[in-house]
Amino acid sequence: MPTKILSVDDSRTIRLIVGKAFRPYDVQMFEGSNGEEGLAAAAREKPDLIILDVTMPIMDGVTMLGKLKENPELKAIPVIMLTAESGRDNVLQIAKIGVRDYLVKPFKEDQLIEKAGRIVTLQKKPAV
Amino acid sequence: MSDATNYQDLARKYGFAPKLESASRLTQLVARQDSDVDEIVRVINKDPVLRDRLLRVANPDAENPAEYSVETVEDALMRNGVGCAMVLAMGTPLALALIKTFQTMLSLKLEFVDRSLTEPLENEHLLGTIGFSGRVVGAVYLRMNLSYARAVAAGILGLSPEDMKDTSEILDVAGELLNIMTGNFKSNLCDAGLDCKLQPPDMKLSTDSYSPVTPGGAMEHMAFRTQKIQVFVDVTANPWHDD
Repeated sequence: MPTKILSVDDSRTIRLIVGKAFRPYDVQMFEGSNGEEGLAAAAREKPDLIILDVTMPIMDGVTMLGKLKENPELKAIPVIMLTAESGRDNVLQIAKIGVRDYLVKPFKEDQLIEKAGRIVTLQKKPAV
Repeated sequence: MSDATNYQDLARKYGFAPKLESASRLTQLVARQDSDVDEIVRVINKDPVLRDRLLRVANPDAENPAEYSVETVEDALMRNGVGCAMVLAMGTPLALALIKTFQTMLSLKLEFVDRSLTEPLENEHLLGTIGFSGRVVGAVYLRMNLSYARAVAAGILGLSPEDMKDTSEILDVAGELLNIMTGNFKSNLCDAGLDCKLQPPDMKLSTDSYSPVTPGGAMEHMAFRTQKIQVFVDVTANPWHDD
């Protein structure tokens, strides 16, 4: 069974980069472009890991994180915040709600893989 | 445990890069309307890069330092106001984020250069704008020739420039570049008590190379280049805007 990862970011560019980073691994990717879409995808797919942006239209990442943690079926899904904003209040608020890790943009794909690999199993796809 | 200590613990746990002390200190000082100008002068004089940049901002028409009419940090602040120092403090995290993004995502070493050493922009070029408002108002403008923006977008997405035929894709990648830069500098402002909100980036092709200055504020023009790419960033702000 592939590891399921949900990437929630309003930037198509970031979703592409995240998808590219996990391409060598046995991972099934899902996407959302705002918190509402992210919550719906989380409820539908029950991913093993969510990679979540902070600033998004319609519903931001902090609100989505709060709603995830309020939902008994979704609250155990680990979340990595992936954002350019590392201001003190933001980080403290997010840490209080509960995240497994935090990655500040810009990031190297290796850093994302390393942080994700500490939380879920990332198995390399066999060479074709 | 205090929030500040907690933040330091979290920053270590998450592996955040340390913040640049002089820029953070300068932002905190300028954020206070009753701040001590002598202290601001001391902080800027201690950092040769900040000092050079302030003098450049204070002498907007000079082609090089030999033409400066304002030659000291004290004079620059007296003549142009402390808002000048705020623009510097804001420009530092922007510049660092841009340089780090190029290094991290493209393995390119982008250098901060004097604008007089760069080639002029093509008539039609990429323009990205992000406005911000709150306890400080202003805007950040990002400009690049389209051919450079295409190369940057292709590099970030792991494609060849020939694959980047769709201009909207190039604008989207450049918009994220602008988001990353401004997200980093917003953190610096908020940490200094200048809470503000960023507007979504407005990305387009433009033939207008004029960046409007925020009323009552100051403007810094910054230029960066590698051997093959030039990037221009303008930042304007008024730190004491009344909502």
